[in-house]
Parts: sequence; structure tokens; C-alpha cells
Amino acid sequence: MSQANRTPYQPVDASPVKSFFVHMLTRDIELEDAILDLLDNCVDGILRGAKTSVKKHPYSGFHADIDFKRDSFSITDNCGGIPWKLHDYAFRMGRASDRPPDAPGSVGVYGIGMKRAIFKMGRRCLISTQNDKDSYDVDIDSEWTADEGAWHIPVTPAKHKMPHDGTTIVIGDLYPGIASKFSDDGKAFHSDLERMVATHYTYIIDKGFQVKINGHVVKPRNTRLIFDQKISKRPGIQPFLFKTVDPEGVEVFLAVGFTRPIPSQDEISQDQEEKRYSSLDAGWTILCNDRAVLYCDRTELTGWGEAGVPRYHTQFIAVSGIVEFKSKDASKLPTTTTKRGINTSSPLYLQVKNKMREGMRIFTDYTNKWKDRPEESRKQIEEGEPLSFEELKTAATHLRFSPTKRSVPPGDQYKPELPLPKKIPPKTRRISFIKPIGEVEAVAEYLFEDVTTDSSLVGEKCFDVILKEAQQ
Amino acid sequence: MKHPAYHLRVNKTVDRLTFIDAVKRIARLNDLAEYTYYGFGGPYLEDFRLLYEFYPEIKMVSIESNDETFKRQRFHAPCNESQLTLRKLNFKSFLARYDPRDEKSIFWLDYTGLEFGNFEDFMLLLGNVSANSIIKITLRCESSDYIGKDAKQEEFRQKFEEVLPYSHATPPIDLVDFAALLQEMVQIAAQKSLSSGMPMMFQPVSSFCYKDGVGMFTLTGVVCQRTETARINAAFKGWRFANLVWKKPMLIDLPTLSTKERLHLQRRLPCAKGSGKTLRLALGYLIEDDKRSTEKKLKQYADFHRYSPYFMKALP
Repeated sequence: MSQANRTPYQPVDASPVKSFFVHMLTRDIELEDAILDLLDNCVDGILRGAKTSVKKHPYSGFHADIDFKRDSFSITDNCGGIPWKLHDYAFRMGRASDRPPDAPGSVGVYGIGMKRAIFKMGRRCLISTQNDKDSYDVDIDSEWTADEGAWHIPVTPAKHKMPHDGTTIVIGDLYPGIASKFSDDGKAFHSDLERMVATHYTYIIDKGFQVKINGHVVKPRNTRLIFDQKISKRPGIQPFLFKTVDPEGVEVFLAVGFTRPIPSQDEISQDQEEKRYSSLDAGWTILCNDRAVLYCDRTELTGWGEAGVPRYHTQFIAVSGIVEFKSKDASKLPTTTTKRGINTSSPLYLQVKNKMREGMRIFTDYTNKWKDRPEESRKQIEEGEPLSFEELKTAATHLRFSPTKRSVPPGDQYKPELPLPKKIPPKTRRISFIKPIGEVEAVAEYLFEDVTTDSSLVGEKCFDVILKEAQQ
Repeated sequence: MKHPAYHLRVNKTVDRLTFIDAVKRIARLNDLAEYTYYGFGGPYLEDFRLLYEFYPEIKMVSIESNDETFKRQRFHAPCNESQLTLRKLNFKSFLARYDPRDEKSIFWLDYTGLEFGNFEDFMLLLGNVSANSIIKITLRCESSDYIGKDAKQEEFRQKFEEVLPYSHATPPIDLVDFAALLQEMVQIAAQKSLSSGMPMMFQPVSSFCYKDGVGMFTLTGVVCQRTETARINAAFKGWRFANLVWKKPMLIDLPTLSTKERLHLQRRLPCAKGSGKTLRLALGYLIEDDKRSTEKKLKQYADFHRYSPYFMKALP
């Protein structure tokens, strides 16, 4: 008998435990994000289809309807359904290495989105899907969810024919916390979810996709940057633009500029006294394959308060930027597993962040230079037209870009020439001097009949008295 | 500081008296002597005067930041310092110091404008008050501030997005519809402050809108344990102004009637059905452009006649 055969230690069972997927993975994601994962699947379904040749509105005609109430959640789409050949990917816990390649431009990478969303909400789920000739129902019940040994899910031919290829997911037997969120907190939850869809899907909705939540159509929240197209030689308000393609094939387009006139001093101080706005268009929005993974961020994550860029403050309320990352291979995009955050250690993102800061400095610098003359600045900004990101990209085709060989990755940029304020000779001059306290008090008593009068007032009054004499 | 004649506003007076009614309902559940009333009484302290008249056992605290208004309040105090404390500070500073422990409170956040900060105050307060406290919030509800002004509508969206039911919501023209939107915003603020995972919740009891020159919306509710809502609802059962399920706010829009007309109509009231028509026939003439509008206005009178004030010329 060999040494190995005599050992009491046998190979250990490292197979996954179902409760890990059902209870642990779902802890790492907020309910709203889990629902956005389901929307991501709808969009990926559109990209798998053949109808995306229409460039301007590739998502036009496609929709997803989300409905929630105390006892159920459902999402219905007409986005092409799940082909049977993808069932392993769609229903397995995780992504198999031998799965067919993704549709170009999709964002699914890890193969957990749909399952995680289902297990986040309830114990029971019926998925009905139709793709061309494939039409089937997948029924996950609470016994299956609880049974550690059961890894096969029953699939049956679809009971109902759908009018279009698509998928319907109905989740029932909701966890009590989720049921309360959908009913007792229903209004607040609707408001939050709608805002998240409107911001994270703004560019997809703008390109034709329709999302309804409990019957209400979600409208996109576009950031529009001021672009003065009339300027020829004179300086004017235009955004800073940068574009590149990295060696991995990720296309990058960056734009930063003004969304509105810079704020007056009154507006700034009012905002400091009491929070005036609950939301702002200021800050950076980062798009990965059309999804906004970060929306109007005003932190160090996007370069505020770093490397010569001031920290965000109300005075920069007009500064906003958008960066778009596009890749056929979603794993090359600088986003996190939840697809609602940026991977800050991504080398590509760190390089692009340098350009974000460079562009931002132009507009924070302009704001600082014109902050005392907001009315003149307002006129300059109002001469321009607010353009959406897509409109900007079209306008950019007529601009002269310069190569940026020193930046990594090398790309092309358009650096606008913003107006500079003319230097006005100062109209006032500061006078300060020091005198013994006793003498200051004596003059204060003489001028104000109050020895405690502030010394700066005493000095100013002395000057005024002599000025009056001098002018007579 | 100039102030409108708050004490002479007909519809606001009705709102104040329905508030007094709501407090009476709460008295069925709790001893009012355990409560302290906090309000922004304005120069005349009208709400304090009323409260003292009906419930002298409630301690009262007025919060005012303006120097001159504060002096006028001292002049108009309806009672002495044993029941009424006048504090000169703004509401945010007050909230930072407010620590009720187990003491029950009645708050009237009687704002004259509409700012996001009002919702922030409300949310903060909900999280601080003890169980069975009453909170009433009043907000400006004037669609003319926004209609036809694109920039103002965009500002509205940016100001209030965190509490808007839909991010593209804009203020409707109709007073009741605008009030309904503000009510949804208050509901969202309440759900965010006291979410379903917490033991306490905000139970609405009444909501109104009215216009004495400027449109206003007002909502009253009780902060209570989730398990106590049935008890609160039972206390308000049968109250004709109860709004326990966030339905549309009720409009207060009293007609202008002479004292002679009012005394004439009073004899026919209350009447269960068709009050507008009954009162129109009793008058024998129209007080608005047509029958429908006249009956609508007279129905308002029938609904609120017990709370409708008499403003009369008096010899000093």
C-alpha cells in the first residue's frame, strides 16, 4: 500500500452550495441595481437580434415593462427572447467558459444578473421566453430554491404564444422586506427606480428604447453641453473633446463643458444657506456600451479635487462632462461587476481620467476668472446652443482635432478657446496701519462717543472726515 | 417685516379649525397635557391663540428668526410664559437642538414658500419625534410660479427630484392637481424618512388645498408605531375630512356670502345629499356665473360652514 493510500485525508467537496447563490450573492446588490440587471438583459437581447443596423435609433421599437406590487414583480420585453442554444448561459449560476460569444456591445460578463435579481426578490419565478421557433417556460419554485441537491430546473414548452419574440419574468412568493418595499414604500421606491432608469439608461432610451414602470413611461435625462457653433476666429463657449481607441479596441469619446450659465454670487450663497437643488446635472457621466455606469459624479472618482482641479463646489454647478467607452467585448470596459460603478484600477480609465481633468480645468478656470462678472459670462454662454452627446459627436466631425501623442493612449483632441475677461485697473486700494490702543480709543471716543468701536471703523471714519475736508 | 393679514384669510381659517378638530380626535387616544405644540406663528400667533382657546393644557413653543416679528409676537402672546415659550431662532437651528425624548409633540411646519429644504426639515423631523406625535406641513402650491416658464419648470425638477414621483413631473395648472403632486412628494419624503424596515410610520389624517390669493397645500399626519395604525384610523373614523389613504387633497374654497345670506342658509344645514342644489334653491338666485358653479360653491359652504369665520366691522 502506498503512502498516499494510507492517509486519512480524502479530497474535499468544493462544489457550490445553492444557498450561497440564493442568499449571499444577493446581499451584495441593491434591489434597484438587481432590477437594472434585468433591463441590461433586455438590451443585450436587442443586440443579439439582427435589427440593430439602424445606427441612430438602434433600440427603436423595443420596450420593457416593469410592474411591481405587494405580492409580485414582473418584467416583460419584446427584445428577442432567449434562444434555446443559450439556455446554459441564461439559467446556469455563473458563466460557462465554452458558451457562445456575446453579441457585440452587450454588457453581461459574469452570468449572474438574472438569477441574482430573481433570488434577491422572491422564492418563486416563472420565466416565459420566445425566440424564433424556441418557445418555453422555466419554472423555479420555492422547493427547488430550498433543495441543496436539485440543480436542474424543469423546462416545459410555452403554454402561451407571445405576439413578439421576448421574455416575461414573473417573481412571486416575495421576501417580506421586498413586499414592503413594493407596497408600504411603493411611492418612494418607484421614484428612486424611475430616477435610476432615467439616468443609467438615458442614452439607450434616447436611442429609442422604451421603459415603463407600473405603466409610466420613463423619460431620458440627457446632459446637454453648450456649443457655440457661430464662432469662427473669436473665442467662444465650446466643449473640450477627446477621442481615442486603445490597443484592446475600446473606443473612447470624451466631452466636457458648460450645461448652463455660471452661477451668480447670490445663487451660490443661497445654496450654502439651504440646499436648493436635490439633483444637479453637474459632474461626470461615464457610459459603457451606452449604459451610464456613473451619473453626474462630483467626487475624486472622476477627478474633482485632484491634480490641480478644485474640489466640487456650487460655483462649478455649470461644469459637466460625459465619457463614452465602447467595446465589442464587455470585459474590456472599465466597469464594476454591478455595471453601476467604475473600476478605478482600470489602466484605461486612469489614462482617460487625465484627459477628464485636463478638460475640466479649462472650465473651472473660466468660472474662477468670470465669477465676479456673471452677467457678461451669461451672455457668452447663452450665445451657444445646448447639444446632446450624440449631437456633439456629429458637430465634432466638422471640428479640427489635434493629435495628442504625449497622452497615453494617444488620441485626438479639440481644445476650445474660451473668452478671457479684460483686465480692469483696480478702483480701490487697501490702507492699513497700526496705532497704540489708547490713541485708537481716544479717537473712537471723539468720533463715535464709544471707545469700544471697531478699530477698522475708526480708521475708515478718519479717512472720510479728511477726504471731505480735502474735497471742499 | 411686512406680513399679509393671515388672521383674515377665510380658507386658511377653515384649515386651522379642521386642525383643531384633528387634535380633538387624537385626544381620544392620548392625554393632550402630554403634548407640546411647536409652530411658526407669524406676527399674530393666530394658531397659538386658537390652540390655547381650545386646549389650554397643551404647552406651546413658537419658533421665529426675524427680530421685528419676534417683538410683535411678544406683543400678541395669547397667554403667559407658563404655557407659551417664544424662541428666537430659525427652524434648522431648532431642529439641531430638538430632543423630545418620550415627550409627544405637535408640529405645524407652516411654510409660505416651496423649497427642497422644507422636505428635508420634514424628513429630519419624522425621524426625531416620538410615537403619537402630530405633524402638519403647509407648502406654497401656486402653479403660476411655473406655468409658461420653461426654466422654472426645469428648476422645479432639479429642486425636488429626490421626492418627485416621476423625474419629469411638472406642476399642473389646476390647484387640486398641483396639491396632489405635492402630497405625493410629501408621501415619498415620509417613506424615505420612515421606511418599511423601521418600526414607526407616518399615517396621514387629513389634507387640504385652498387659495386666499395664493394657492396652498397642507397635510396633517401622525407618526406612530406600524402596529398602531388601526388605532389611529379608528380615532378618525367618521370624520368627514379624514384622508387616511393618501387620496386627493380636499379643496377649501368658501363662497363670499353676506351675514344675512349665511344666517338664511344656516337653517337648512346640515343636509345629507344635494347640499349645493338645496342651498341654491333656498337663496333663489345665482352667486356665480351659472347653476353648476353656484351649487359647487354652495356645497363648499355646506361642507365647511361650521368652520367658516365671520369677519365683521367692530367698534373699538
